[in-house]
Amino acid sequence: MTRASEPVGEVVTAVAVHGSQAPVDGQTPTAAPRADRPGAPGARSARREGQPWKDKLTSVWFLAPAVIVLLTLVAYPIVYTVWLSLHSSDGASFVGIDNYVRMFTAPETRHAIVNNIVWVVVAPSLVTAMGLVFAVLIERVRLASVFKAVVFMPMAISFLAAGVTFRMVYDESPDRGLLNAAVVTVHDAFSPPSQYFGARPRDGAPLTEAAGGFETTATTGTTVLMPLVGLPQDRVPADAVPAAAPPGGGLAGVVWLDFTPGGGGTAGVIDPVERGLPAITVQALRDGAVVATTQTGPDGRFAFAGLADGGYTVRLSPDNFTAPFNGVTWLGPSLVTPSIILAYIWIWAGFAMVLITAGLSAIPRDALEAARVDGASEWQVFRRVTVPLVRPVLVVVLVTLTINVLKIFDLVMVLAPESSQDDANVIALQMYRVSFGGGLDFGLGSALGVLLFLLVLPAMLFNIRRMRREQR
Amino acid sequence: MSVDIDTRVPDLVPAGVAPTGPPRRSLVSRLVGRLGSTAVNVVVAVLGVFWLAPVVGLAVASLRTTADNSSTGWWTVLTEPSRLTLDNYAALMRNESVLHSLWNTVLITVPSTVLVVVLGALAAYALAWIEFPGRDWLFVLIVALIVVPVQVAIIPDAKLFGSLGVYGSIAAVIAFHVAFGLPFAIFLLRNFFLAIPKDLLEAARMDGGRDFTIFRRVVLPIGWPAIASLAIFQFLWVWNDLLVALVFATSDNAPITYTLREQMRAFSSNVDVIGPGAFLSMVVPLVVFFAFQRYFVQGVLAGSVK
Amino acid sequence: MRISLRAAALASVAVLAAAGCSGTADPTTTGGAGPLAGQSLEVAGTWSGTEQESFQQVLDAFATKTGATVKYTSGGDDLAALINSRLAGGSPPDVALIPQPGVVNEFARKGAIKELTGEAATAVAANFSPAWQQLGSVDGKLYGVYFKVANKSVVWYRTDKFAEAGVQPPATWEDFVKVTKTLADAGISPMAVPGGDGWTLTDWFENVYLRVGGSENYDKLSRHEIAWTDPTVVQTLQLLGQYWGDAKAVQGGAKGAVQLKFTQSIADVFGEKPQSAMLFEGDFVAAEINKLGKVKVGEGAKFFDWPAVNGSKPAVVTAGDQAVAFKDSPAAQQLIAFLASPEAAKIMAAKGGFLSANKNLDTKAYPDPTTVALAESVVKADLLRFDLSDLTPQTFGGGTGASMWRLLQDFLTNPADPAGTAAKLEAAAKKDFGGK
Repeated sequence: MTRASEPVGEVVTAVAVHGSQAPVDGQTPTAAPRADRPGAPGARSARREGQPWKDKLTSVWFLAPAVIVLLTLVAYPIVYTVWLSLHSSDGASFVGIDNYVRMFTAPETRHAIVNNIVWVVVAPSLVTAMGLVFAVLIERVRLASVFKAVVFMPMAISFLAAGVTFRMVYDESPDRGLLNAAVVTVHDAFSPPSQYFGARPRDGAPLTEAAGGFETTATTGTTVLMPLVGLPQDRVPADAVPAAAPPGGGLAGVVWLDFTPGGGGTAGVIDPVERGLPAITVQALRDGAVVATTQTGPDGRFAFAGLADGGYTVRLSPDNFTAPFNGVTWLGPSLVTPSIILAYIWIWAGFAMVLITAGLSAIPRDALEAARVDGASEWQVFRRVTVPLVRPVLVVVLVTLTINVLKIFDLVMVLAPESSQDDANVIALQMYRVSFGGGLDFGLGSALGVLLFLLVLPAMLFNIRRMRREQR
Repeated sequence: MSVDIDTRVPDLVPAGVAPTGPPRRSLVSRLVGRLGSTAVNVVVAVLGVFWLAPVVGLAVASLRTTADNSSTGWWTVLTEPSRLTLDNYAALMRNESVLHSLWNTVLITVPSTVLVVVLGALAAYALAWIEFPGRDWLFVLIVALIVVPVQVAIIPDAKLFGSLGVYGSIAAVIAFHVAFGLPFAIFLLRNFFLAIPKDLLEAARMDGGRDFTIFRRVVLPIGWPAIASLAIFQFLWVWNDLLVALVFATSDNAPITYTLREQMRAFSSNVDVIGPGAFLSMVVPLVVFFAFQRYFVQGVLAGSVK
Repeated sequence: MRISLRAAALASVAVLAAAGCSGTADPTTTGGAGPLAGQSLEVAGTWSGTEQESFQQVLDAFATKTGATVKYTSGGDDLAALINSRLAGGSPPDVALIPQPGVVNEFARKGAIKELTGEAATAVAANFSPAWQQLGSVDGKLYGVYFKVANKSVVWYRTDKFAEAGVQPPATWEDFVKVTKTLADAGISPMAVPGGDGWTLTDWFENVYLRVGGSENYDKLSRHEIAWTDPTVVQTLQLLGQYWGDAKAVQGGAKGAVQLKFTQSIADVFGEKPQSAMLFEGDFVAAEINKLGKVKVGEGAKFFDWPAVNGSKPAVVTAGDQAVAFKDSPAAQQLIAFLASPEAAKIMAAKGGFLSANKNLDTKAYPDPTTVALAESVVKADLLRFDLSDLTPQTFGGGTGASMWRLLQDFLTNPADPAGTAAKLEAAAKKDFGGK
């Protein structure tokens, strides 16, 4: 395949990076000879001058199938779509620019347009940055080709499969979602949940919530009853024993789980099987300041020793009830777009990396070394030498990704759950929804299609200019 | 394989540099380089794991029961590998709608790819090697069509297919894919064909070859690598498509992407079908990827302009 | 409910098609001798897989009995589009089983389906309660027979959790709220609300509304003849808001609920790591519980009928597949008559996962007591109404992104303002019902 593999390098050169080569296996490119192109003026005259009509006729046979397909299924529909966009939803009556006005005023479509702008601003640059970092990193690692293959692999799978995959990564539950499992593990390592999270005072008990804890007022000599509910029986510590009210005297009380398993207990009363809650930190406050702290015993009893007689606030400290951190709602309304963009980066970073790697390999080594010899740090070399030299490649990557991001559809449709699909909406998805997803509004749908078309026009011009430049 | 920085440093020390300079620098930079490269290796390895984790997760999940998947994360198999089962795949093999749609994907993808390659190669040859008036303009127009979003054509094409009575059929899906695959195919192949040495073609003409013979005997064999890249790109594009299928296929003629999406939406949504189904739909592209990595990458890179 | 996002879109485009495409051709049952020997019939439906296999046996029985040849065509979720294009091509199926009453109404008004007369009408009159006959009628004429139905007015619960908290299945809304509170006190998350799937929320709304607003208002609301700002709607939303708004009542609170998918919610209640004690959805939950295989339906998992609100009478929100005839042939009428018979229902019932509205079907035909109970409440209900969201235009109640789904999801997240949500529903209805 040696002979054959060379010209492919040429293809990539011409199409994507012009001037660099980008196979994953990292072989050095060899451009095919370009000097005697048939398109060059010299070549033209040498051709069979005698039979121009025959050439024309042959060209018809070669071109006709493709041109007919393109005319009927691509070119003419564009015109028809423009026509439809100026008509009512069923195409029956002319409505002028109404659909366009609606497009920018209706909240759903406007939201989609705004989201698309966010995508265009954020996603291509992040992917490119990621690709650049990877490209620089893999210059210094051993199994670079393995890494390249791994990072490039998502390009092979469909957005649908990627969406299914990331649905699992973003699952709300820390038990199932990879990302939330990681986040919760890290969070819990620094601030673990308390034993009694979820417990709360029995309704009607004279306990009020204060800053996550529960408090009541009492005077010395009375017994403070603190009935809690909302705690599953299996989270009561094993050493807990049935609760008992302390004898009077001093400031004392009991904290217990006021729920008889299987029902039947009386609210606010210590029923025989109801257990005390051990090891709860209880504070006594006077004039807002903590004057004493104690802990409950296995039967839920607590007592403050040596307090002066009088009225106190008795508080179950908030740190008994620290709720567990349940992870982040990645696909909720506020984070859904960033989360989808993250999945997009996962898919496309490999693409950027491979192109930029090719760009980097074209940088003359002496330029980098010269800078290093001059005493520049690696960061300076990167900023001042590497980046400027690969800039043309970066531009190509950015433009390519921008076009791609403008048309983003499947990933949003599959990854955004129904409840936040409106928050994640983009133009292409909204176009599908209004025209086929039950709306049947072909007018508005066409207007959105035209908008997309207008948005990719600059890229179209960019392509044409690049192509013409390469012609010469 | 990329070049190891360490081995290059000595080569690049310029001959004229003062004798005291190089050894000192080189020692320091070697030390820093060693330390740094270990760190870099670790960072890259971690990133590689990040990149693999989602796909591994899908693969593992597809091998777990619905009950397991709905209660614990896939990584719990690390401690309980015995809970893995092939039941989901066995069930999938009995699930007619999934199998049928997987077959539909093949029925859609193969003709779409072949037609794009054939029609594209013919047109590209004409645009590269046959003189006719307006050739350059035609080519510019075709290049312009490359980035046209499908959204600007789906409604009219749906109506057109409807009036022809083919709406919802596999043929309609193929026709649309071919239409939107052609501009890029022509662009790619034409550029490639231009690079074929003129002498080869001239020699063939001298031997009295007609255009079609030259096309078949000279251009196609030489153009094979480009055609392979194009074919792989087009194949993946169609294989992975969801939008065109959603718009143009009825559920009987729908490809796997469509069916899996239906499964995701249906209230009795079968987690045990979506997991293995999605994984199965990835197998073909992944095999293509690993078997033809070079053409694959070139095809995807080249096609990314779409 | 069958969720068919694209059915309407496809239907409209399919109308443009001159000739239709046909669905999958499935095994044909050839009959032998009999009154219809030599005649052939085509039946179209949405079923595939196991359901199709079971239904095939019903058709086999008909073929054996009459000698006719019967072919089943599966249209999947796009059944309406399939029929539309077949109608355009002049070759509709003889009989179709259609899940959307709105589609049936449309066919009836266009004259595409035929009124049931003769033995078909007799069979329906003999085997179905007036409520079911009414559901099968359009403008007072009988067109369809509900062959398969759903009971969407049941709440499933875990018996162990109820025992742990010492509560009994509630019969009234007040008791329902009390049970919920007691469960929460016991440290058990009471209810899983799968707000991630908007259609489940529409079912919540419909059940409360049928009891708060009554049948007349329910019918009017489904046709948008009363506004969604009607006091009955606001009152319904208030009740729902009070329930949903209590973070202790709903698993994961409102934010968690709106992320919860229906399938996951079944696992969260009846799976390996049970989190909540109750889940509301139709009879089809039973099959999913069995699939998880952790608790047995009828033992670890039971259901109670949707609680009465302010002394409302027993009422059932239902859904189902309606058999209608596209041809006025004796064969088609005979097939409908057969589908209306207890004999046909019995074959399908034995397979499980199937409820019949046929009052003459011996309940012994069902495989287990739970299915019997589910079927009985459907057969005996005096107040029977079709799933309201299925009666509204698709953009309002019928698919992802539909107004009612979306607005109820928003309401679940923030149930503070029932009147405001009612106003938004009304605004959406004005648009989606086409200014009616």
